[in-house]
Amino acid sequence: MSGDLQGGGWPTAELDDVRRLRVMAAAIPGGRVSERVLPLPLDEVWAVMGDLEDGFGRFQTDMRHVRVVRAEGGRVVAVARSRFGMRARLEGTLRPGWCWLQSRFLILGMAAAPEPGGGTRVAVTGGVRVPARAAIIPLGVRRELDRTLARLADELR
Amino acid sequence: MTLPTDPHDPGVSLARAALGGDTVAMQDLLAHLAPYVARICGPIALDSGPDAAQEALVAVFRSLRTLREPAALYGWTRAIAVREAVRVARRDARSRPAELADLPAPDDPELAADVRDVLTRLSPEHRAVLVLRDLEGLDEQAASRLLDIPAGTVKSRLHRARESFRKAWSA
Repeated sequence: MSGDLQGGGWPTAELDDVRRLRVMAAAIPGGRVSERVLPLPLDEVWAVMGDLEDGFGRFQTDMRHVRVVRAEGGRVVAVARSRFGMRARLEGTLRPGWCWLQSRFLILGMAAAPEPGGGTRVAVTGGVRVPARAAIIPLGVRRELDRTLARLADELR
Repeated sequence: MTLPTDPHDPGVSLARAALGGDTVAMQDLLAHLAPYVARICGPIALDSGPDAAQEALVAVFRSLRTLREPAALYGWTRAIAVREAVRVARRDARSRPAELADLPAPDDPELAADVRDVLTRLSPEHRAVLVLRDLEGLDEQAASRLLDIPAGTVKSRLHRARESFRKAWSA
C-alpha cells in the first residue's frame, strides 16, 4: 500500500502536494485545477516553478516583473506587475513542491509531486479573486490554467 | 488521542481566518489538518488512503462554513474523515469482508504480518471501529454515534477485530 507505517504499526495515508492543491481548488468556489506530468525530476521542475523572480514569469505570462520583498521561514511577500500594468502585493507560502499566494484581487496556487510512474506531476490553480474572499471569478479559468502548464512544459523542454 | 479544545489552538484560529475568506489561512489549516486526516484514513481505507484523505479534506473544507463552533473543529473533522474513509474503501472494493475464517492458520508464515496485514483482512467498518477505539480513544457510545450504528454493533465489531489481532499476534 502507499501509506507509511508509523508508531504502533498503524498505516497512514500520504497526501502529496498535488492532492493538497486539489483540495484547495475544490474548496474555493470557482476554483479549477489543471495538471500535467512532465518527464523531469521534481527539483528540475521546481527550479523553474518556484523561482518567482525569473522562471515563474516565463510561464505565468500575465505575471511579469515579480519582485520578492520578503522571504522567511517559508513565508513570502512579492510585488508583481501584470502585463496590463496592474500591481499586486502577493503574500503566502513558498517551499519546494508548494506555492500558495494571494493578493486582494488574485489567488495563485502551484504544486508538484513525484509521479509514481516516473517524472513529476504539476498542478496549478487560481485566477481573479472575488475581492478579499475565498472565491475565484470563474471566467476562462480552466483555459488559462491549461495554457500556463503548456508554457511551463515548453519552458522545460 | 486527546483532541485540542482550546479556542486558541492554531487549528481553531486558522479555521476562523479561513471562514473569513483568507486563502493563506486555508492552506495553513490544510497543512495543519492533513496529517491528522491521513492518520485516520490510512488504517481504514488502506490502499485507497490517499484518495480517502483527499476526499475527506475536500468535504471538510467545502462544508467549513457549516461548522457552527470552530472549537469543535477536530471532532467534526474526525467524523468526516472516518465516514469518507469507509465510503471510499467500500467504493474501491479493495478490502475483503471480515471473516475470521479468512485469517491464516497460526503456523502460516503470512502471520509474520504487521498491523497492516491484519487490517487488510477486516472490512472498512471494522477498521473504522478499531481506529476510533484504539487510535482515537473513543468509547463505544461515542464511536456508535459517530458511525451511526448501535453500540452493540460497535462492541461486536470491536470484539471480532481484536480477535483477529489476537490470533495474528499469538502466531
